[in-house]
Amino acid sequence: MSFLPRRTVAVLAAISVALGCASCASLPSTAASADDGCPKTSSPVALTDLAPSTGAAKGPATACLIADDVPAPAGSPTPTLPAAVTDAQGTSVTVTDASRILALDMSGTLASTVYALGLGDNLVGRDVATTFPGSDALPLVTGTGHDLNGEAILALAPTVLITDSSVGPWDTVLQVRDAGIPVVVVTPERSMDNIGELTEAVAAALGVPAAGTELSARIDQRLTAVETEIERIAPSDDDEKIRMIFLYVRGGANVYYVFGEGSGADSLIERLGGIDVAAEVGISDARPITAESLVAAAPEVVLVMTKGLESTGGVDGLLDAIPALVQTPAGADRRIVDMADSEILGFGPRSPAVLEALARAIYAPAS
Amino acid sequence: MTAITASGVTVEVGGRALLREVDLDVPTGTVHALLGPNGAGKSTLLSVLAGDRAPDRGTVEILGRPVSDWRLRELARERAVLTQEHSVAFAFPVREVVRMGRAPWARTAREDDDDRAVAAAIDAAELWRLEERAVPTLSGGERARTAFARTLAQESGILLLDEPTAALDLRHQEQTMQRARLIAARGGTVVVVVHDLTLAAAYADAVTLLSDGEVAATGSPLADMDVALLSDVYEHPVEFIRHPRTGAVIVQPIRNT
Amino acid sequence: MTATSRLPRKATKTAADPGPPRRGITGAVLLGSTLALALSVAVLVSAATGQLVIPPEEVLGSLLHAVGIHALPLPQQLGAQETLWTIRFPRVVMSILVGAALASSGAVMQAVFGNPLAEPGVIGVSSGAAVGAAAAIVFGWSAAGPWAVAAAAFVTGVTSVMVVYLTARKAGRTEVVTLLLTGVAVTAITGACLALLTFLGDQQAREQIVFWQLGSLNGSRWSDAAVVLPVTVVGITISVLLGRRLDLLTLGERSARHLGVNVEALRAIAVTTVAMLVAVAVAFTGVIGFVGLVIPHLIRMVIGPAHRPLIVTSALGGAVLLVVADLVARTAVPYADLPIGMLTALVGGPFFFWLLRRTRNRAGGWA
Repeated sequence: MSFLPRRTVAVLAAISVALGCASCASLPSTAASADDGCPKTSSPVALTDLAPSTGAAKGPATACLIADDVPAPAGSPTPTLPAAVTDAQGTSVTVTDASRILALDMSGTLASTVYALGLGDNLVGRDVATTFPGSDALPLVTGTGHDLNGEAILALAPTVLITDSSVGPWDTVLQVRDAGIPVVVVTPERSMDNIGELTEAVAAALGVPAAGTELSARIDQRLTAVETEIERIAPSDDDEKIRMIFLYVRGGANVYYVFGEGSGADSLIERLGGIDVAAEVGISDARPITAESLVAAAPEVVLVMTKGLESTGGVDGLLDAIPALVQTPAGADRRIVDMADSEILGFGPRSPAVLEALARAIYAPAS
Repeated sequence: MTAITASGVTVEVGGRALLREVDLDVPTGTVHALLGPNGAGKSTLLSVLAGDRAPDRGTVEILGRPVSDWRLRELARERAVLTQEHSVAFAFPVREVVRMGRAPWARTAREDDDDRAVAAAIDAAELWRLEERAVPTLSGGERARTAFARTLAQESGILLLDEPTAALDLRHQEQTMQRARLIAARGGTVVVVVHDLTLAAAYADAVTLLSDGEVAATGSPLADMDVALLSDVYEHPVEFIRHPRTGAVIVQPIRNT
Repeated sequence: MTATSRLPRKATKTAADPGPPRRGITGAVLLGSTLALALSVAVLVSAATGQLVIPPEEVLGSLLHAVGIHALPLPQQLGAQETLWTIRFPRVVMSILVGAALASSGAVMQAVFGNPLAEPGVIGVSSGAAVGAAAAIVFGWSAAGPWAVAAAAFVTGVTSVMVVYLTARKAGRTEVVTLLLTGVAVTAITGACLALLTFLGDQQAREQIVFWQLGSLNGSRWSDAAVVLPVTVVGITISVLLGRRLDLLTLGERSARHLGVNVEALRAIAVTTVAMLVAVAVAFTGVIGFVGLVIPHLIRMVIGPAHRPLIVTSALGGAVLLVVADLVARTAVPYADLPIGMLTALVGGPFFFWLLRRTRNRAGGWA
């Protein structure tokens, strides 16, 4: 009888160790960086200068943002305080001071929005994904991954925290609220379709609704301009539109997912003038890749995050890791388009620039 | 007054009868031995008498009340049981294990007697040198004596002992049986399972001989038993020999040499 | 014709052999006070260390201030006071409560099984609770309120214990070996359920589940402690009250019954109390193993196996262990919070093997 518990205990210990190591390996390490294969001083061709494309091309490409990706703030608005809002979770929050702002989310969108609204100087910290002019100077409040560090946050003595539920642990967010700091939770949904809603929610929380409306309109305007160009360049016939799929890969942790309907990638692909094949085969949200579904989807272009692609060992490594990919047109032509992790699904104020960069990479990779 | 009465006790397991229509009467103030070959049902009978096991048919009464009517704690104050295994799961010292025998008296008036009872029990089993030793480190015989001391400390009127002498050396075998006689002399009742027939002859007021789950003979001292019956049940010829000086009965197996 | 007159002279009283060290109440009081002192020091050190280093006098000052004594200075740094009261103190309090709960329930479990290798994890409480929490995370029940995960874990933890206990019963008796084997089966089934839930969940849920399985005190809040405190106090009190009867159980089921102990009732109450203690701890902090295994064992080596002092002292020991382990977990790697369950397993496992060999050789085995 004394053998059984001991063995169980030893097995449990071994499993714990294995799990620990596995989860260590799977810690997200998607930090935004400037060295993503994009030339530092770039003056790529503007979309307006591109000729209409058949959509056919070969070889991988990297989508690069041009310098002024985040819309420059129109001015420095003065917040009208106190600002009472009902956040996305239905909590009533009153913001009385917007002088020390923390805007944290998975893709840095909220921080960019705050910057674009003109309150960038009031930001006191950032998450790993935050990038806007001058953001490097701000102290990090997440660790090596996306995990919020409660003590780091409180040490900055913020007067308002804007976040969604994409970064955690959730308890840490609640701890900040417990400490008496107003926490406004916005929707974690990121897509092309709710940019205005998100921008206005952030603006309202900071007491600058007018600036929010203005920014929202500006982004919308630019977005429409980009989309018009894309419409001009991309094939218009449904059966000539490029079939695209978004893959989320992390080579180290053996993680391979398709981002389908509702993940934000679908709205991106649609606006790029492509066909979202994941939606075609009925994949919603994030699902592990299955060989059959990939071959059935038959994508012509694969969109991935840059760091993810690196983690599988580049294009060759990706094709090795997902053999089914080789049987698709995308794999055969090696049309893998990558873009920095925090940019590609970040949306928010950067969306027009992101769309432009992707369009360039897809329709005119040579430029 | 009868301390223990069993009537028509039958225990069946998987179609096989371990005990069949067993009747037993143990008056107070006596030492009663349960005899029989291996598998005769002695331990089963003892566990039925102790109340561990309900018979499939028949009744057992302790002090005139059916054993199932007794509440556990009450019963513990009336009867103590020494089982065949004496293992203790953790390294309690001998003194503590003997003290555990006082548990039924917690929160009663007799709780004040605890220290005296424990000391007396340790005295009786000669455990002074071993008082602080951890029970799992003791030898089989020492553990048996510790368990016996525990039942003594319980100071109950009835003592049920399952092969108490099995692991003991000569001195302690005698000591155990003499203690049983002493208890009986003071009005207590002892039912003891033994294998050594001479020991039974020397110390038991009456014996019950079990054979294959049935009572072959009961109620009289071993010396009065039919030798032929004894030989038959044990499946080996035995004879009674009278000690030349004391006249005590010695039960001797007949050997061919 | 009394027995004593026949005794030869050599069997007289001699001095008692020196036995196992430090037995009884005095040993427990001594060890208990030492542990209590160690706990106070550990608490101060833990509260002073972290992202923000706060001098111990200021920590003490903050504590005293809260009860109205203004002898020592308050924390000077920006955000330090909030950090102490919103992040560190709740975390330390949770460490104490969870450590005490796990260690004392380990001691009780070992008594019920009559085996020093028994641990609450063995009978399936930890994995059962894990299933509940994982289900709450995956199916989004946390929308119902912040308690949903904890409540679900509690319900499934207690349920799985009941399943194990009832399955292992036969004609009103419970055999220890059967209990252990059923526990192994339940653990296997709950493991499969967990795997299924991990598969069904999205990326975020998955990572949450994995980290939850490894245990973490990160994000502990006063509201958590408010639930764990009464349950732990009640559970430990019941365990202490059962102490004397648990002592008797070491004689074996039969002998304990002969001494008036209702073994079935004792087992039922003990198992339920253990389930309560462990489920409530696991529900908030995830699976933390080996505390219930190693601490009672160590304490038993010092003060002996009597259960009343053992349970109380184990509770103290468990508290100290977890406060120290948590300190290491959050400071070993900057910005990172190591899963505490992994730490306790990594240290507890090998230590336990060493303990096994030592105890086996010295005390002549167990039972």
